Amino acid sequence: MQIHSPGKLIRAKEQHRAEVSKQTGFPSAATHYTEPSIDLHKELVTNPDATFFIRTEGSEMEYFQIHDKDVLLIDRSLSPKNGNLALVVKDGDFLVIEIDLKKLEMEYTLWGVITYIIHKAP
Amino acid sequence: MIALVDCNSFYASCEQIFRPDLWGKPVVVLSNNDGCIIAANKEAKVLTNIKMFEPVFKIKDELAANNVHMFSSNYAFYGEMSQRVMNILHNFSPLVEIYSIDESFLDVSGIIGIDMNAYGMKIKETVFRYTGLPVGVGIAHTKVLAKVANKIAKKFPKQLHHVYVIDTEEKRVKALKWTKIKDVWGIGRQHAKRLESIQVYNAYDFSKLSPAWVLKHMTVVGLRIWHELNGKSCLNIVEMPKPKKGIGTAKSFGKKLEDLSLIEEACAYYISEVAEVLRAQQSCANYVQVFIHTNSFSTIDKQYSKSITMTLPVATNDTFQLIAAAKEGLYNIYKPGFRYKKVGVCLSGILPERYVQGNLFHTPKKNTNELLKVFDKLNHKYGKATVYSAQCGSRKKEWQLIQEERSPRYTTSWKELLKIT
Repeated sequence: MQIHSPGKLIRAKEQHRAEVSKQTGFPSAATHYTEPSIDLHKELVTNPDATFFIRTEGSEMEYFQIHDKDVLLIDRSLSPKNGNLALVVKDGDFLVIEIDLKKLEMEYTLWGVITYIIHKAP
Repeated sequence: MIALVDCNSFYASCEQIFRPDLWGKPVVVLSNNDGCIIAANKEAKVLTNIKMFEPVFKIKDELAANNVHMFSSNYAFYGEMSQRVMNILHNFSPLVEIYSIDESFLDVSGIIGIDMNAYGMKIKETVFRYTGLPVGVGIAHTKVLAKVANKIAKKFPKQLHHVYVIDTEEKRVKALKWTKIKDVWGIGRQHAKRLESIQVYNAYDFSKLSPAWVLKHMTVVGLRIWHELNGKSCLNIVEMPKPKKGIGTAKSFGKKLEDLSLIEEACAYYISEVAEVLRAQQSCANYVQVFIHTNSFSTIDKQYSKSITMTLPVATNDTFQLIAAAKEGLYNIYKPGFRYKKVGVCLSGILPERYVQGNLFHTPKKNTNELLKVFDKLNHKYGKATVYSAQCGSRKKEWQLIQEERSPRYTTSWKELLKIT
């Protein structure tokens, strides 16, 4: 009969990597219900190829509830409707206006329709 | 049918999107290091006798006198805008070949029951509405003819509104007669000269030559162009770009350098850049070429330039090994006492990662592979050169490009968004 000496025992190194994790307990009940997390970009940007972000400075646009350092999301692909907010150009300058379709064509060049205003809470 | 869509003076047009104060005004874009003009919009082309690639210092006064607005190149921004245009074009055809940063071929043969001119207009209007970039569209039966159509669309903007379709024999003949032989896509200067010497002045004359003559004198490449001009399609739309044969980068220093250690750092930095491209396309390189030179325009400096190619023991895409090889090359060619203007690197002998031949005396290091993966991930997530080899040093300011007039990276950096008041 052969006798095996166990020799000196070396403790195995602890391994924390996911692929060697040995799950024991009861499996999560949520396993089959996982969904991707909410992605703000997906929600707010429907046409990424036509959407641009810009930042405001100053209090000139308070009338439209747009404040200093807000981020405006602008979708150039949308057709403007009365009452929309839009970024327009007049005499080489950018302006934010509320759209009045009759006036828009006469006085301004439309740059894009504002879809969201992102404001940092105080 | 094939449509060629290209952006009008792409770089300059990009610069104007967020600058309504410059709409309709002359704009030029400068090369890396603000050395020469690489793009000009039509207003700038009309106003001054600007030649592409003209050194800026030669015409600075003329530019200023004409109120030409200058921009340093802003490739992060142009790249993003180009990507947007390509995405939009994918809505118009299932098969799109991205030919260059501002040109794409679309296979529109599946579009039936729609007037092609109207379709071209729709493409043009959509791209402009979404991005603010003006494009021209040429549509014809072959790629070479689509190029011709595009050129015509550009030449007569008032009548054609930047869209032209060659869809009848009559139009084809008229278009070819209008196109000078030197302007035909794929016909080089030497061939154009020779053709002119035998009284072939325009594309129509060329299309009437015998195919045997063309094959004999201009090889199969010329014959393909001949067929394409005659309406027989030979050049397919290629969706996937071919892996590059050589990847290189060379930029002028912000100021002249004498010190080897600074040149080394710049060289290591460029290697890091190209090695990243190599890994992104899952390839390895067999050779590293390094070159340095002084400013050949300078009349006061002593001139020197030299290039060397180093062979790697085993093809690799490991930044560290490539830097080591490049540095060895640089030590070989560097000579003290000169004021260097530029160092450049080029990787060649490129093959897919999985075809790399091992070497009996050289075992690949597995650890560095893992390290480089982390490297690339970090740099992708947190921005270029977040982590880099210490060989690149920390004195980038001493050699990096001068970009005095760069516009904000409007679409890729939160800090650089357009500000309105």
